[in-house]
Amino acid sequence: MSGDAVRPDLEQVFRAGYPRVVAVAARVLGSRDEAEDVAQEVFLAFGRTTVPADEAPQWLSVAAAHTALNHLRSGRRRTAREQAVTDPDPVTPDVADDVVTREERRRVRAALSRLPRKQAVALVLRHSGLSYADVAAALDLSPGSVGTTVRRAESALRKELSTDAVRN
Amino acid sequence: MLFGTDRHPTEGTLRRLVDDPAGVADADRAHVADCPVCLAGVAAAQDDARAVATALTTDVTATDVSPDVDRAWARLRTSTAPAPAAAPRARRRRVRAPLAAAVGAAVVLGGAGVAAAADWLPVFRTEQVAPVQVRTADLVALPDLSAYGDLRVLSEPDVRTVGSAAAAEDAAGLDLPQVRALPGGVTGDPEYSVGDQVVAEFTFSAAKAATAAGAGAPPVPAGLDGSTFRLTAGPGVAQTWRGGASGAPALVVARVTAPTAFSDGVPFDTARDYLLSLPGLPADLAAQLRGFTADGTTLPLPVPADLATTSTTEVDGHSATVVATRDGSVTGVVWVADGVVTAVGGSLSEDEVLAVARDLR
Repeated sequence: MSGDAVRPDLEQVFRAGYPRVVAVAARVLGSRDEAEDVAQEVFLAFGRTTVPADEAPQWLSVAAAHTALNHLRSGRRRTAREQAVTDPDPVTPDVADDVVTREERRRVRAALSRLPRKQAVALVLRHSGLSYADVAAALDLSPGSVGTTVRRAESALRKELSTDAVRN
Repeated sequence: MLFGTDRHPTEGTLRRLVDDPAGVADADRAHVADCPVCLAGVAAAQDDARAVATALTTDVTATDVSPDVDRAWARLRTSTAPAPAAAPRARRRRVRAPLAAAVGAAVVLGGAGVAAAADWLPVFRTEQVAPVQVRTADLVALPDLSAYGDLRVLSEPDVRTVGSAAAAEDAAGLDLPQVRALPGGVTGDPEYSVGDQVVAEFTFSAAKAATAAGAGAPPVPAGLDGSTFRLTAGPGVAQTWRGGASGAPALVVARVTAPTAFSDGVPFDTARDYLLSLPGLPADLAAQLRGFTADGTTLPLPVPADLATTSTTEVDGHSATVVATRDGSVTGVVWVADGVVTAVGGSLSEDEVLAVARDLR
């Protein structure tokens, strides 16, 4: 083992897995910059583990979903986003569109953060392209129950979004 | 009641027909094709799935543009370069300050499985458990002790998996706590890991410290220059049930001989306070550390304040610290009794963790 403070295969795993980790986190956060911050956290954590390299893709996707959801719930983001919504950039040409888009994003992320954690992770992983078998393994679900979990998450998310829209 | 192909498939099966029909049994597909109720169910599932897919990709730029992997890798390398080492050999050169020495103990405590849950590793000291809250960034930015003297790791923990509880107990010379009743959702057999005692020696160098800290360094206390401190932690044993969230274990029960620090002259707390007063450590953290009892046996392990919260409780008459991630997904409790640290944690609620902790044999 080298003198570096990380596992020796980290660079290889990082280069292979980084785009996927960013994509998973971006689905949760709706922000590329924040997704890249999450990806850094995820790979830092991965570097301290002894997870076998062949299990890394699954571990990384799950960690990306959890870490991004943690960010959503921290409250910091919500404050920042609400600030952005109420205080749009005055030089942006399509201010109205921009505000609408940001508001939609805010509602999606807020709804996502209110889902039960297992549902939220299953939803994000499936929509990020993980197979039913991979999602089942990642969440310790039976393969047959992944569809049910995803279905309930989608149904709940839609309800949350429509309720939130009415409230707003 | 309907049977066989006459029975309506579950809503999960209908959902799977939307995006993975090949994964659905032929009999179910045949049923759905002729069942107006199920066809309506598939249509509703499809509608919801499409709406959610759109909602999750509201920000097109978030998912459509490939990230700059080279730039990201350079950033990660910057972050990992000064981090406490995961590997024993790396730790020889990179152990940081008393805080990082405690990280070594945590490796012994949790074994490889717990390293995956780096966010929740708890706090301990020999006589009483007490939390020190720092931000995550501080964990990788602690001053390098080797800049203030000579650090030698004399004995590595060699954390390893063994085949049975008896083998773990033999290797560590500690009784492994027995879990009488597993919490709901935790199943199967645990994995047993064991780690040997970690021993490190740090010899303080006034000249090195002056160079490292620059003009702002306070005067070195009398007798500190050349003093050697011996830090030990472990051995430890752990049993880990897999299947928790985010790579964290479902349940870990671990026991480790408490960390201690020995001095050949100058009290350890003198050295610690001096090190903590040097530039490089956040002032609030230094102040918290100084508040610890100066008995030379305190080795707190930081809890990332932005990720976890702590509270106190009692386990079997001993003061215990509960550490919980802010999203509530992972909780741990740790306490010290008779020079032995015991920790219980996992993807569980505080009630579940405390129930296990208070029922250990």
